[in-house]
Amino acid sequence: MRKRSAPSPIAFAAAAASPLKRLQRQLAPSAADALLSLGLVALILWAALQLLGWAMGRADWAVVQLNSMLLLVGRYPLAEQWRLWLLALLLALQAGLSWGLLRAWPRADRREQARLWPRHDRIAGLLLALLALLLPFALHLAGPLQWRWWLLAAVLLAGRWAAGRWGQQLPRRALKLVAVLWPLLYLLGFWLIGGGLGLAAVSPGDWGGLLLTLLMASFAMALSFPLGVLLALGRRSSLPLLRWGSVAYIEFIRGAPLITLLFVGQNILGFLLPGGASPDRIWRAAWVLTLFAAAYLAEAVRSGLAAVPPGQLEAARSLGLSQPQSMVLVVIPQALRVALPAMVGQFIALLQDTTLLSLIGLLDLLGTARGIMANPEFLGHSSELYLVLAVLYWGCCASLGLGSRALERRLDPRSVASRR
Amino acid sequence: MAAPMNPPSPCRSDVMIQAEAVEKWYPNGFQALRGASLTVNRGEVVVIMGPSGSGKSTFIRTFNALEDFQKGSITVDGIALSNDVRNIDAIRREVGMVFQQFNLFPHLTVLENLTLAPVLVRKRPRAEVELQARALLERVGIAEQAEKFPGQLSGGQQQRVAIARALCMEPRVLLFDEPTSSLDPEMVREVLDVIQALAADDITMVVVTHEVRFARQVAHRVVLMDQGEVVEEAEPETFFTAPRHERTQRFLEQIL
Repeated sequence: MRKRSAPSPIAFAAAAASPLKRLQRQLAPSAADALLSLGLVALILWAALQLLGWAMGRADWAVVQLNSMLLLVGRYPLAEQWRLWLLALLLALQAGLSWGLLRAWPRADRREQARLWPRHDRIAGLLLALLALLLPFALHLAGPLQWRWWLLAAVLLAGRWAAGRWGQQLPRRALKLVAVLWPLLYLLGFWLIGGGLGLAAVSPGDWGGLLLTLLMASFAMALSFPLGVLLALGRRSSLPLLRWGSVAYIEFIRGAPLITLLFVGQNILGFLLPGGASPDRIWRAAWVLTLFAAAYLAEAVRSGLAAVPPGQLEAARSLGLSQPQSMVLVVIPQALRVALPAMVGQFIALLQDTTLLSLIGLLDLLGTARGIMANPEFLGHSSELYLVLAVLYWGCCASLGLGSRALERRLDPRSVASRR
Repeated sequence: MAAPMNPPSPCRSDVMIQAEAVEKWYPNGFQALRGASLTVNRGEVVVIMGPSGSGKSTFIRTFNALEDFQKGSITVDGIALSNDVRNIDAIRREVGMVFQQFNLFPHLTVLENLTLAPVLVRKRPRAEVELQARALLERVGIAEQAEKFPGQLSGGQQQRVAIARALCMEPRVLLFDEPTSSLDPEMVREVLDVIQALAADDITMVVVTHEVRFARQVAHRVVLMDQGEVVEEAEPETFFTAPRHERTQRFLEQIL
């Protein structure tokens, strides 16, 4: 995908020139720059070769191969693991369908642009397929895992293709379905994972690895979002009690390191709550994460609210909309669009913060990996594990970032109303 | 429910807005209005002029409770403006406002800008409102932009959308707060033409503006405000040719 460059005369000239010329202009406009570029390229190549040499030669991937299921789902009972795969399959299908539907129904003012999309889509699809094909080898996944991974990728791409092919025959309302199906699928996911209501229950203590990491992160994201919006509104409220309460909460949370709050959640919360009401330690940690993230999100949302011109609220009120209607329909959507990049930054930080759970003894992805490293059988193979961990975390964070940028583009009405 | 666009005005002397001795202080102690009074009759077009800082914007913003006031009384279409929220909502439904900065909702399409309030506040069926909205856009000359977003339109087009948005609520009064002040000169005319066309339709309008030609052609009455009070009220011809007040004369000298 081509990088969007500033519309300077140089950039225009470069865009007109051949790709090779463009590369030359970008990397080596002068002799000194050429030297610097060459040096950097050499350095990067050398590092990549070193890493590759280690990964192909000295590294022993048995540690990852033997523990791949442990890393993915922890001690989730083997007999019930089909539920997780079913969920992953549904998620892949839903992701593919959403992708295809969004492409089939570009925004009203982007129909022209839409014709350009399939090309980018083909590139994205190709990259995804390539990644799906190669990743199992790169991560040295065990045989059955490999097959399932490929199946997931195939379902995702097939969903994308089918929805893109036939999506336009559905009414435009189908787009709203996408927004409704995701939360429903999330709830279904909790049922599939936790069991109950006819399925054998799997206690949260048995959730682990990547599964636990993603569950904790997504739970905290889903709940901290509305909480953060409420806190941001509270901080701007005209009611003093609400305002001071929100400020006190936000500043208290932001003043304390997450790890201390996690310990507080694990140890003290148990004493404060009446005997039986104290939730499981996993849930306690999930709530601490949620409450922690909410404070930071609130600040991101507040900056978004501050960016909405006061005239917007006045216009909405002058049309007869009530205060809540004006906020929900006019002010908050605009504020969230402004705050989106900052919020996604917080979400990514939140995902990485889940690694702290390993310090309070929960077996998230990092906790599981540390457990494996402590096993004498796999002594001296922490580099391999850490590399896999890095790739997994990077993959999660990168997809969050990609998704948010796609969302930003979709929400951005090319230019904002005049704010003189 | 849906009142016809141009209610026949059986008796022109019916009072639409009655503001009496309105005084307003801003929280910082500045007194913006010092006993301003104004009566606007049904179907009348009143133009308010005055130097900047004279309180003219503040004054018309009190008519739909975007600004509060401390003393005096305002009655709009028989409803007394008080702190009662229900009263305020009732008045806002009947009073449309067009702002200097357009204040269109940038995240909604032009059509959605128009339909939002009638559907939510007046509880009218969406299909019906959309038809009316498209007709209004046609009337202000931008029917083909209905699916675009405000940021893709020129300033003049945005302001015409804003007028159509206010009209879509079928208000009894339209307030214009310097509707052309933030427009590029070549776009002023297209917006004034739209307002002038409305005036011919017997809609009650209060317009804060500096456009003398517009005031002469369209206004039934021109009002001069200075330092928070109404200084002079007259027919446009009298106002511009034979003002009684010395302050009006000075103001006219500066702008003519």
